[in-house]
Amino acid sequence: MNNLMLALDGAWKVLATSLILGAGLPALFAAGVRSLASRRTAPLGYLCFAVVLIGVGLGITFIVASGFGKELNFDNVYPTVVDKG
Amino acid sequence: MPGEQCPPPEAVRRARRDDAGVTETTVILLLVVVTALGFDFTNGFHDTANAMATSIATGALRPKVAVLLSAVLNLVGAFLSVEVALTVTNAVIRIQNSDGTPKPDLIADGGSALLLIVLAGVIGGILWNLLTWLLGLPSSSSHALFGGLIGAAIAGLGWSGVNWSGNGEKLDGVLGKVVLPALMSPVIAGAVAAAGTWIVYRITVGVAAKFTDNGFRWGQIGSASLVSLAHGTNDAQKTMGVITLALIASGEWSDTGNIPLWVKISCALAIALGTYLGGWRIIRTLGKGLVEIAPPQGLAAESAAAAVILSSSHLGFALSTTHVATGSILGSGVGRPGAKVRWAVAGRMVTAWLITLPAAAVTGALMWFVADLIGGAGGAALIFAALLGLAGYMWLHSRKAPVNHDNVNDEWEAPVGSAV
Repeated sequence: MNNLMLALDGAWKVLATSLILGAGLPALFAAGVRSLASRRTAPLGYLCFAVVLIGVGLGITFIVASGFGKELNFDNVYPTVVDKG
Repeated sequence: MPGEQCPPPEAVRRARRDDAGVTETTVILLLVVVTALGFDFTNGFHDTANAMATSIATGALRPKVAVLLSAVLNLVGAFLSVEVALTVTNAVIRIQNSDGTPKPDLIADGGSALLLIVLAGVIGGILWNLLTWLLGLPSSSSHALFGGLIGAAIAGLGWSGVNWSGNGEKLDGVLGKVVLPALMSPVIAGAVAAAGTWIVYRITVGVAAKFTDNGFRWGQIGSASLVSLAHGTNDAQKTMGVITLALIASGEWSDTGNIPLWVKISCALAIALGTYLGGWRIIRTLGKGLVEIAPPQGLAAESAAAAVILSSSHLGFALSTTHVATGSILGSGVGRPGAKVRWAVAGRMVTAWLITLPAAAVTGALMWFVADLIGGAGGAALIFAALLGLAGYMWLHSRKAPVNHDNVNDEWEAPVGSAV
């Protein structure tokens, strides 16, 4: 029973995080694609892509960091790499 | 004997050198290493589809380029995972202590009791991986490995040899590490991908195809690359852990804090080579069979998969890349207005998921009984030969209706590689 509660607790966190990163970033990417289609809104498009790239960069940093026994910490709002606690 | 004190490793090693059973253990160890690398290889080609099926189906990448990219990223990922995965078997069975050293009573005979369980388990995993590949079904390689090990442990140690549900303090055991994540992760990934697909279509409605096609092409390549990299870090580790455990059990390695370099290199190469070979049958099922995938869906599906895999490993929520990727692709079909999902294909796939663990367990148990009947190196050699024979048979069978990079994208309705 405990396992079920623990799993549900993990599941909603994964769902919330993934909705922001896994659906939010593609949405932003789509907004970028849309903005680039018109010269007037093109700068906005580049801004969107920049944010998406930062998100992907964080993803790669996370993979690399966890491979070396570190993790990303968001306590300071901006991410820092710290030892896994 | 349970409760017997573990002698210091030095004494164990010296004692083993004088033991007549040394060569026997060495033979079994060699078979375990070769078999584990073989599993890693099947793990590679079984899972190429998870990352690349969407990009291949939409034409974002040519098939050969896609598998090459995925292979390179898996190789890089495998080397990035320096974190020691020595305790990988602890999630499901009880052959190791919590620090990764083998249980003393299992290595009392020079290690062959433990080696035989591992060998039979890994063989069970490979055979199930090959059968599902032959049928073009994207089943989970982690479930196949865990299933095989569970079966071999039940056969060799009885029901108490399995860690069914841990001690309740954290997600652990077969229930917490395998069953519950398997039920939840595809649903989460599917929901995220459906939401992503729906919103991406909403945002780009009315935008000319010449803008969207090229944009989404890069989005797909990027997101699929992330999934490949994450796969390399997650899955290659498991084999590294299994091989290192076998080395420790036979007294060839004693450092529980590190993995021998040659193990790391050979595992990384095995999974990368497997990925490059490409499990075209599975790529075809995921890319063409489940839903017809358009570029925005590919982007949404792989982004959802990457996000779910990364956030769950961050939160210590173990899961199978295959379940996540498949759930995502299915979700992207649900989220796209007017898309058709082939629920019959999805049903077959879910059935395969459900039976992967028990089927691999039965195979693993069977292998252990056969090996135990003969005993020692002879038994190990016999089940290894059985593995080679069955693998060869399935490979020959696959040649009757080959699926490769040329026909992987053919229309689904007249399947080239129709399942047996």
